[in-house]
Amino acid sequence: MSTTTSDAVTGPATHGSVQVRASSAIGEPRIEIRDLDFYYGAHKALKKINLIFPEKQVTGMIGPSGCGKSTLLRVLNRMYDLYPGQRAEGQVLMDGQNIIDPKVDLNALRARVGMVFQKPTPFPMSIYDNIAFGVKLHEKLSKAAMDERVEWSLTRAALWTEVKDRLSTSAMGMSGGQQQRLCIARTIAVRPEVILLDEPTSALDPISTLKVEELVDELKNDFTIAIVTHNMQQAARVADQVAFFYLGEMVEVGPAEQIFTAPKEKRTEEYVTGRFG
Amino acid sequence: MSSTSVPGAAKNIAASVGLGKRRYRTNTIVKVLCVAATALALVFLASILFTLLIRGFAGLSLTVFTTSTLPPGSHGGLLNAIIGSLIQTTIGTLVGTPIGLMVGTYLSEYALGSKLGDAVRFVSDVLLSAPSILIGLFVYAVAVAPFGGFTGIAGCIALAVIVIPIVVRTTEDMLRLIPVALREAAMALGAPKWKMIVLVCYPAAKQGIVTGVLLAVARVAGETAPLLFTSLGNLNWSTNLTKPMASLPVTIYQYAGSAFEDWVQLAWVGALLITFGVLAINIIARFVLRDGK
Repeated sequence: MSTTTSDAVTGPATHGSVQVRASSAIGEPRIEIRDLDFYYGAHKALKKINLIFPEKQVTGMIGPSGCGKSTLLRVLNRMYDLYPGQRAEGQVLMDGQNIIDPKVDLNALRARVGMVFQKPTPFPMSIYDNIAFGVKLHEKLSKAAMDERVEWSLTRAALWTEVKDRLSTSAMGMSGGQQQRLCIARTIAVRPEVILLDEPTSALDPISTLKVEELVDELKNDFTIAIVTHNMQQAARVADQVAFFYLGEMVEVGPAEQIFTAPKEKRTEEYVTGRFG
Repeated sequence: MSSTSVPGAAKNIAASVGLGKRRYRTNTIVKVLCVAATALALVFLASILFTLLIRGFAGLSLTVFTTSTLPPGSHGGLLNAIIGSLIQTTIGTLVGTPIGLMVGTYLSEYALGSKLGDAVRFVSDVLLSAPSILIGLFVYAVAVAPFGGFTGIAGCIALAVIVIPIVVRTTEDMLRLIPVALREAAMALGAPKWKMIVLVCYPAAKQGIVTGVLLAVARVAGETAPLLFTSLGNLNWSTNLTKPMASLPVTIYQYAGSAFEDWVQLAWVGALLITFGVLAINIIARFVLRDGK
């Protein structure tokens, strides 16, 4: 596990393009959740979750609204820490470290575990500065190196050709689909190891959705991805493994194909065939 | 069935026509009342502006801007009052804005659900609607009486005290309008909270905050009461902040009630200058707001 860490830390320095997808077929655990409980005040929102996010694979999380899938995502980068009264118990292991330990440096953790939200959230600044914002928080780069990083991340997010001539214009003037890809670019510019996507296409039109899905497929060459979605077809299209959540429990996890064609649990079958949820 | 429903339907149509007429009448009456009320309000406004323009422009000349106030009959100007107003408004704003900005940020970002925050917000709102003469008296008590004299500094302090609650309110309101998602997005990149506030929230709220500051400037530029007890006014040219300092509103107050024709005339000119100054600031504020959208 420690070797994968050093890979992940030094790896993206080559800008990802030359990285070989060696370990992705095997799927070593990147994050391992053990007996995780989560509380909103007195309300228990997650119950005894056990789940492994394999390295450089896409894990899709599905389930009806309020089942806890977004909650779980927000545990992985400790987003819940912003709100008093929310707390997690159990183990979320990343390189042997329990990341829900209060002693964990949150800013460093969030540099390793990036997140893209449901609605596009461009900052009110130029396209270039949007990308540079996150990078500057963690690294001191020369102007040339920053230029290179901005180009690299925008290219990886399939946005470079569309915006390369207007990097200094405000990001607020972009279309919704472009804004969401900018947010993805902004997240990968920090060179995280894991990317969390919280219903990243629910506010987008079908064409933008397709672009983002293609992007996810392409990004898993370099990043471990967890995606929450309400769209079953989307989960089937992009995910390698799928976890089904219901009422705060993880009912079933397995390869995407198996979950959608031969689920073991009755509730999973009822949900993926559209009988409830 | 149909034979019985037809007369009934006809009756309904007749009734609804009657209803239509009544609604039409009511609508007309309400419309007339609204227009009349608007006209009444505009008459006063127009009358004030018209008188101000006629009387103000009549006395407007270059001497107003090149000469300080002089004894009656010696063709004085308003230079000392204009400069005094500019100095006190500028310093008052420069002192009050950062304080207001920080308090507003505290209320919006750090004081969520805290008792201290609620208390600060309440006090600030009370201050916002406090009569400005009370603020003048307060500053007189803390910055004039103990030091044995009226000073320009005291005037600046009084204006700053008026600026603070205005900026507090607009800063807090504008920061609260920023979506949670934007804040979370900044935090999710690993930004510490203060960087999230300074680098993401402030730019997002910039237009609103700047507008609030400009409105505060417009407000204090016309304040008279707080200056009467603090910088007092000065008939001579003075930019010394440790001495009494002239200002347009105080000069207007003193001149408008005097028995000398040329002083009254200058008071009109002063009123015209303030009105145009405030108008200019309001227009700038609108432009700032529009550029953001």
